[in-house]
Amino acid sequence: MRQVAVIGSGQTRHARCRDDVSQAELVREAAAAALADAGLRPADVDAVLLSNMELFEGRAFPELWVGEGAFACGKPCMKIATGGTSGTSTCIAAFHQVASGMFDTVLVVGFEKHSEGHTQTGMALTDPFWDRAVASGALGNFALSISEYMAERGVTERQAALVAVKARRNAAQNPHAHLQMPELTVDEVLASRMLAHPVRLLDMCPQSDGACAIVVASGDRARRLCPRPAWVRATATRHEQPTLGDIDRRLCSMRTLRDAAHAVYAAAGITEPLAELDVAEIYEPVTYAELAWYEALGFCRDGEAGRLIEDGVTTMDGTLPVNPSGGVLSSNPVGASGVIRVAEAALQIHGRGGSRQVEGARLALATGYGVYAWADAIVLGAES
Amino acid sequence: MIREGSIHLPFAYAAGPAASRFLVSLRDEGRILGSPCPACRRVLCPARSFCPRCGDETGEPISVGPAGTVVSFTAQAGGVVFGLVRLDGADTAMLHRLLGDGMRWTIGARVRPRLAARRQASITDIEGFEPLQEPGDGT
Repeated sequence: MRQVAVIGSGQTRHARCRDDVSQAELVREAAAAALADAGLRPADVDAVLLSNMELFEGRAFPELWVGEGAFACGKPCMKIATGGTSGTSTCIAAFHQVASGMFDTVLVVGFEKHSEGHTQTGMALTDPFWDRAVASGALGNFALSISEYMAERGVTERQAALVAVKARRNAAQNPHAHLQMPELTVDEVLASRMLAHPVRLLDMCPQSDGACAIVVASGDRARRLCPRPAWVRATATRHEQPTLGDIDRRLCSMRTLRDAAHAVYAAAGITEPLAELDVAEIYEPVTYAELAWYEALGFCRDGEAGRLIEDGVTTMDGTLPVNPSGGVLSSNPVGASGVIRVAEAALQIHGRGGSRQVEGARLALATGYGVYAWADAIVLGAES
Repeated sequence: MIREGSIHLPFAYAAGPAASRFLVSLRDEGRILGSPCPACRRVLCPARSFCPRCGDETGEPISVGPAGTVVSFTAQAGGVVFGLVRLDGADTAMLHRLLGDGMRWTIGARVRPRLAARRQASITDIEGFEPLQEPGDGT
């Protein structure tokens, strides 16, 4: 297989409502920014892949309606939808297209306009026999699993609140981020409205309108176009059983993410992720999930995630900064969120993270999470 | 065992700046706007902010039509006739209804829009296109 790198990215301003533009115009904002960042014109792109959660905007075939915004006319273009992992799955598909030799340059664009459809209705279109009549949506789903996780691992509400504060303070250094709460405190998180026990308002990600694009190129092109390409060192995706009650201990085991992480570590030769990774951009839709991911991703042993956040190990000046961008907890245009993880991880390797740059970052992890049904893991590095 | 049901799906779509101008001009002035592409020189109707073919941002919208030419049509069972109409001054065709009871439509027929009396900034502010009687055609 050929070498593959991320050579540029572009993002819109993410916000609660971007009614200043249509869906196609929102997509074009990110796509044009990514091409400009990579120093390319639309004609230089061989193929376009789109990421979006079909039905969240109440619209069938989103790739048909917004593909023109991604400069896809006359090119191969398709959409990939795997829930929250849509963005990372789409990036991985683009890596495969370039690695295989099929294309030299692929543009990936993820987008979501939550403000235009009815996300909860889209999410409720689940299995019609067992889930739909009793479905609790993303929040209830998380809360069920979090109660179980807290009971088993002894994680506290205060430890989760520390994750909320870290995310929003990091987001204050990211001009694209939706939530801007630089002064947020643990007490404010703990005083925020209870949504579904134990999850409070400030434990949850927002619903955002936004788009993010990356440019993926083959080895020769990447070296020619980009001074510091973010090389794709390893990728893995895992699928799970669909029914919540069938999954083994949910957040406690997080089998999909655990397996995907161990697969990419093995492929990239990583044995001690906390020490060897320089930065991680992980898909954490709720504070407690970030703690569970520390364990699933091998940043610590099971039961030690609370200590990790208390000791500041994952803050910007810690051993392994997690989510310098502010993460999903600060911006969540779902179809774009996985692409944002990859774009932000690549930005760190490019050394162009601005005030959210982790000094000297050379090895980065990006992950995606699609409820329990999917998990993706990607390692990007400064060395091919 | 069959489980039946239905879904209510509310939505609120932003048209963006160019399509918003198209819809507001149609509602308030009864004018139809197209957008010129600076790269391919085509005038795209309805107006839009970028050319889907070239990717370039379009220029200031201009009035097109109101008269146009039928590019293709189909009469559905039940009597509804749909047509593609290319308005004078535009390079793309608009999908809409063709109006006129018992009309024998032909490709190339000349038409004009029939505007709704109460307009709401929607493409249905044009009720459809009806035959245009050009001066001097003797009918």
